Parts: sequence; structure tokens; C-alpha cells
Amino acid sequence: MMRALFEWVDVMPSSIAWRESLNGYPMLLTLHVVSMGLVAGIIIFWDMRLAGMALGRVRVSHIYTRLFPWAFLGVALNAGSGLLMVYSQPMRYYPNFYFWFKNAFLLLAAVNAIYFHLNIYKTVEEWEDDPVAPFAARLAGVASLALWAGIIVTGRMIAYSGLVPDWWIALELG
Amino acid sequence: MSMQPFFEWMQGLRFSAFFLETVWPTPIIQCIHLISVAVFAGAILVVDLRLLGKGLTETPVAQLARAAEPWLIGSFVALVLTGIPQLASTALKQYYSPFFWWKMQALLVGVILTLTVRRRISRQADSQLGPVWPKVVALVSIALWTSVTIGARLIGLLS
Repeated sequence: MMRALFEWVDVMPSSIAWRESLNGYPMLLTLHVVSMGLVAGIIIFWDMRLAGMALGRVRVSHIYTRLFPWAFLGVALNAGSGLLMVYSQPMRYYPNFYFWFKNAFLLLAAVNAIYFHLNIYKTVEEWEDDPVAPFAARLAGVASLALWAGIIVTGRMIAYSGLVPDWWIALELG
Repeated sequence: MSMQPFFEWMQGLRFSAFFLETVWPTPIIQCIHLISVAVFAGAILVVDLRLLGKGLTETPVAQLARAAEPWLIGSFVALVLTGIPQLASTALKQYYSPFFWWKMQALLVGVILTLTVRRRISRQADSQLGPVWPKVVALVSIALWTSVTIGARLIGLLS
């Protein structure tokens, strides 16, 4: 079913147009890296505040309200450029080992962030001035840091489509 | 004076050959380089957004700059250390790429700005900061580091 979706996109005229554009891919990938600095840079410092590694004297909700709009601007550019890259070369990404692992890490990071927002953050007023956050918040911060490292690493490794386990090649997705 | 002999020397090193003859060291180094880019970008942005009057306005500039500094320096060291093998092992490609020289020029100006004007301004008390100058410094800083990133990415794509 997933394969059918990617193959369907692959023959769309606008997908083909992006794929055949000389500067489309370099522009998208460059925008993807620059906007990654905005998203990941802010999220890393947010996570480090939760984990007790940095910005210990800054109020937690202040970072949330003042830096997240910038992170969301980054998310829009980052997700937009990323989706367009997949849209323009779906059959390059479909058989790629690291592409799917990156998506899995992204999904886990989103689940972690939503869980944090709906549960741990509800009590922020009780602990937001403490340099060291409660255990649940620290755990969420450390988990997010690890997941973002995974997202960045698997994202970079998409270019190394041949450096994958034998069992993945045996699936013959490409 | 041409720098070509220096780049040819780097390309010919045993050190460079190691990265060309092995499979995993280069991608591992590139991954560490990219994670360092993210940390560096965060350490720059936390302070530059504040200088622009955005971001963490409740915290004094000097306090934010002090908090970001170890991460700024640490990630920069990691970027240089992981950059050297990539430069050496593809030295001739770099030498002939206009984007490599674009990146290095923006990097040089960025480092000088960060160590001089930006450093002085980010140590001042908030009351001493003028209305315009901090914003100019922050915008130039963001523009320079964005240029470094764009140049860096294009070395691999368009060289």
C-alpha cells in the first residue's frame, strides 16, 4: 500500500518537474539544512534546559512561549523542504533504510513532545524556576535529545543508501 | 601565492588515504559534524534572537551569552575537528570548489565578528545596549553563519 502511494506520486507531472529541475534538489537540501539549524538548535537548548544541562536560570515557560514560535517557523521550512524532496524523488526514498528509521525517530520525538505537553508541562508553574526540573521532565529532555541525534544521523545517512544491513537489501524494495 | 601545493599535500597524506580507503569513518564524522551544526546554531540563535529583542527577553543578554558560551565553543571545536578529515580527504575537490572558498571567507568573518564586536556587546549590561547596534550585530551574525551553512552544503552538491 505504501509502495503504491510512492509510485503514484512518482509519475505525477509536478513530481517529475521537481525531479528534473537542475537546481530544485540543491535548493531544497540547502534550505533543509539551514532550517534544521533553527529547529534542532532551539529544540536542543529546550531539551538541555529540561535535562538540567543548560539555561538553568531561565524560566521554563519563558523558553516555551518565546522560543517555540521560532522553532515552529523552522519546522514549517524544514518539513516543507523535506516533504518536497520526498515528493520529487519518491522512489529514491522508498527503498532507503535510513529514510524509514528517520521517520520512526521523528514519530517518536513527536509522541514524546505531545506526551510532555499534555502531562508533564501541566505542572510547569510548580517547578519552572528550579534549575533542575523534576525527573519526568528531565527524562523527556534526555529522550528528545537522543531522538534528535537519531533524526540528524539517519537524515545524513540517507545519502549512504548502500551502507545498510544485508537483511534490508534482501527485502528488494528498490 | 597559490595555495594549491598545500591542498595537494593534504590530499596526498596517509591520513587522507585512510578516509578514502575505509567505509564508515567518513559518514560517522559527517554525522558528528551535523549534530555539532545543530548545537552551534542553537548557541548562536539563543543570543542573536535576544540581541534582536526577540526570544528570551526576560534574561539579561550577558547571562544568556555566558550560558551559551561553553556550547558555542564546544560545538565549534567539534566542527573543526570533524571538518579537518573531510577537508584533507577531499582537498582537491575543495580547492576547485567556489563554494568552499565562499564558506571559508564567511567562516573567517563570522569568527572575527563573534570574537570581537559580538563578544563585547554580549557582555554589556542590558541598560548599556543601544537600540540599533545590537540588532545590526545579530543580523550580520545570523547572515554570516547562514552563508557558511549554504556554502558548506553546496560544496557537496554543485562542485
